[in-house]
Amino acid sequence: MLFASFALTSLFISCDKDEDPELIEEQELITTVVLNITSDGAANQTVRWNMDTNQTPTISLQANQQYQVSISFLDESDPADTEDITEEVKEEADEHQVFYEFSGVTISYSSGQGDVTDSANNPLYLNSIWTASSAGTGTARVYLIHEPTTKTSTSRGGFGGETDVEVDFTVVVSE
Amino acid sequence: MYTVKHFVPLLLLILSVSTLKGQSCVFTIEGRVLDLHDNTPIFGAIIKIEGSDLFGQSDEQGYYKINSVCFGQARLIVSHISCDPIDRIVTIRSNTKMDFELEHHINELNEIIILEDGLIQVNSSVSESQLNVDQLTRLSNQNLAETLNNISGVSSLKTGSSIAKPMIHGLYGSRVAIIADGMRMQDQEWGADHAPNIDLNGFESVQVVKGAAALKYGGDTVGGMILLSPERINLKDSLYGKTIFNGVDNGKGGSVSTRLTKSFDNGYFISGLLNAKQFGDLQAPDYSLTNTGLKESNIGFRLGRTKILKGWEVNYRRFQNSTGILRSAHIGNIEDLLRALESNSPLRIEPFDYEINSPKQKAIHQNIQANYFNQYSDRAKLTVDYNYQISNRKEYDVRRGNRSSQAAIDLTLKTHDFLGSIQWKKDFKWNFEWGVNAMLQDNFSNPETGVKRLIPDHQKYQAGTFISGNYRPSNNFSWEWGFRFDQIVLNAQKFYDTSNWISRGYNIRYTEFEQKDFGTQILTNPRLNFSNISAQTGFALEIGESVETTFSYMLTQRAPNVSELFSDGLHHSLATIEYGFLGLQKETSQKLILGINKKSEFLGISIDPYLNRVSNFIFIEPSGVELTIRGAFPVWEYQSTEVLMWGMDAYAKINLAKNLKYNINAAYTYAQDILAAEPLISVPPFSLFQQLSYTFPKSELEIEMAHSFTATQSRFPDTNFRVNRIESGVIVQQEVDISTPPDGYHNFDLYFSLPLTKNNLKSTLRLIVQNLTNASYNDYLNRLRFYATEIGRAVQLQLVFNY
Repeated sequence: MLFASFALTSLFISCDKDEDPELIEEQELITTVVLNITSDGAANQTVRWNMDTNQTPTISLQANQQYQVSISFLDESDPADTEDITEEVKEEADEHQVFYEFSGVTISYSSGQGDVTDSANNPLYLNSIWTASSAGTGTARVYLIHEPTTKTSTSRGGFGGETDVEVDFTVVVSE
Repeated sequence: MYTVKHFVPLLLLILSVSTLKGQSCVFTIEGRVLDLHDNTPIFGAIIKIEGSDLFGQSDEQGYYKINSVCFGQARLIVSHISCDPIDRIVTIRSNTKMDFELEHHINELNEIIILEDGLIQVNSSVSESQLNVDQLTRLSNQNLAETLNNISGVSSLKTGSSIAKPMIHGLYGSRVAIIADGMRMQDQEWGADHAPNIDLNGFESVQVVKGAAALKYGGDTVGGMILLSPERINLKDSLYGKTIFNGVDNGKGGSVSTRLTKSFDNGYFISGLLNAKQFGDLQAPDYSLTNTGLKESNIGFRLGRTKILKGWEVNYRRFQNSTGILRSAHIGNIEDLLRALESNSPLRIEPFDYEINSPKQKAIHQNIQANYFNQYSDRAKLTVDYNYQISNRKEYDVRRGNRSSQAAIDLTLKTHDFLGSIQWKKDFKWNFEWGVNAMLQDNFSNPETGVKRLIPDHQKYQAGTFISGNYRPSNNFSWEWGFRFDQIVLNAQKFYDTSNWISRGYNIRYTEFEQKDFGTQILTNPRLNFSNISAQTGFALEIGESVETTFSYMLTQRAPNVSELFSDGLHHSLATIEYGFLGLQKETSQKLILGINKKSEFLGISIDPYLNRVSNFIFIEPSGVELTIRGAFPVWEYQSTEVLMWGMDAYAKINLAKNLKYNINAAYTYAQDILAAEPLISVPPFSLFQQLSYTFPKSELEIEMAHSFTATQSRFPDTNFRVNRIESGVIVQQEVDISTPPDGYHNFDLYFSLPLTKNNLKSTLRLIVQNLTNASYNDYLNRLRFYATEIGRAVQLQLVFNY
């Protein structure tokens, strides 16, 4: 009985909870993917895929021209404090891989200037050079892969791992 | 039984003493001596006044009389050959009337109780299944749900190979109560993918009741109840224990469990339990199941005093485990899921190890309990139980930025539970029990996880009262009935994404819950009230010598649980976004169970058909697609519908020859969503289990062959969805088939059991081979069936020491 009353007392103390629960800011959230596209003799393009608007932005390219594409992943859930998740990806280069897949258009890409490599010297394609071979309209699918089973593949399936980011951009390639 | 040889000489003695009376020694003491246990008169008890030669002796009716008692204080000692003596000091001022109730020696009562053999049935109008000590010992390194799998009508809902929730008649979770030592376990409301935090080694018997047959423990168990009872204490001076060693090749692990009890003949006892278990990666027939290791350590102790008619006990149990989840089952989006479905083996297979990495679950469950009972007379018994449970559950995901070591879910549930009841036996025919049940619960979601809360902070208060009874006019008929009323108050503090709060119309419907606006998130305080009524009635009728029929009707009402109301988040192994629904109402079920049992020396048969109609049945179903940064995700949302379930459990036991036994059981469940006119998801398919065992007369070596067959579930809803995948530069739409159940399968097990008797103590050596043919199969009720097959052959060696 003494035991029970002790436990009941502790209950009333523990029930005395007036403060609100703490707001949790999601730590690993990626809300935004930004592609910065530059080329000699062309205007710079900044295209953004944002979780809240989730519209498919359009990238305009000219065939047979080289474009420097730099990708960044942001957490803009708190407008006052934007976090650049790209830094985390760079720090954990071995566990991450950026991969681009295209449909409807033929675009090849290679590692670009200032790109980050992992411990096995595989490029992450955070900075890449894109070249479209012919005119058309299609889709560029951007992946950020976490813990891929291999870092060198030509298809999403080949990389394995878990998909952290998968967003589509419309690509218009003109002659 | 109570004859005393020196009865006549004693009478003579009393007569001779009476002649010696002094002046003030003129008083008499008289009364009756009765048996405390059943109020029958005790013949031949001696009532002696210490320090004098005065005696009294009870007659056949229990009456005694002592004459010539002196004025002043007297010390009375009442004794009887088979009872504990009573020692009492009284002041004599006049003629005095005193009755005594003697209690039999505990060891004698103990014998009576042992004779009763086995457990008291929970409810005689509902047939129940039991597992005894031997069956439990054999499966001592497995979890609760697996242990129950061979009982017809019981299956398990699994998440991988080590996490399993028991399912009764196709229902699980909040719909199945687990009652450990008379109190309900409070850890089943967090969703489908965690197992009950209980170590079976702390218990000696398991009873499964397929319905809300014991309203005392709750009126909301639409599926049924699993009652675990601890070891019964030996009421004599003794020290005894049991140690079980298990070694298993699959997973290269094993367990050690040891229990020691010290009991005294005055009823005191103390008992302790230790259990440790560790397994590395388990092995499927064709590959290693990476990260499926398991670690568990449990302790428990009991302290108390039991004197058959009254007693008390305090006990403590602590359960701790860490369970790895198949690494390949952690995926990012539906394309990852599709790839897993297309692959014949898990996408990540690493060499065997014991390490448990993310994804994993860690649980610590502590249980403190105190109970007291007193059988005040033959007719009234009071039982009071208080229980405090602290349950902590942590889940770890594969995370970025070294956060894998930081839990993604960290929940602490504290529950105070009180259950008090009075049993009253009006006469031989009528029995009643009335009681109250009060519960206070507090759930805290640790915000340090950096992941939005799956289950919000909340407090739950429940108060209930029940009354039940039975009428047994003769040995072959009994009628049972019961009512229960519960009031439940749920007070939650939950953050919703503001966009979600608005898109679901909550901002209009539940404006009064809004607390504080944080921009993208809104803090709300939903306060919900539920009043539940439950009732049960049934009868048992014996027809002739060997046939018994039982019939039971049960009305149950269940309030939606917190995960059904508030779930909010991404499910990493199923690639779904799950949402609770704030507008859920209580679920009402009406269940009819019929039982026909026939028992004879050679044959035992039981057939139990049932019908269950559930209104407002709460379930989760696909409700659309949500586009996220990881692509489109299917959204599953809790909803309610009308459900019809029926089925049948059948069992037969045949003694083919003196040492040759055969038993078979089968179960079928039909469940239909009436509103959607489609089958319900995750309903166990038809299953059959048979066992043939032979015991060698001399060595008592027992060999047993078991076969189980699980059919293909042909009734399932279509929950498939489509995904756009880029294949060689072209977008291709593909269907992700998560609905089609896997093919049925056969499974064979082999048991050898050799008793080794030394100094009257029975020890046992067992060899158990599970999945003998190393069959590769998938189970429909395994939520991770898309990623890997079930485990392959497992050879287990077990040594049981009793001392």
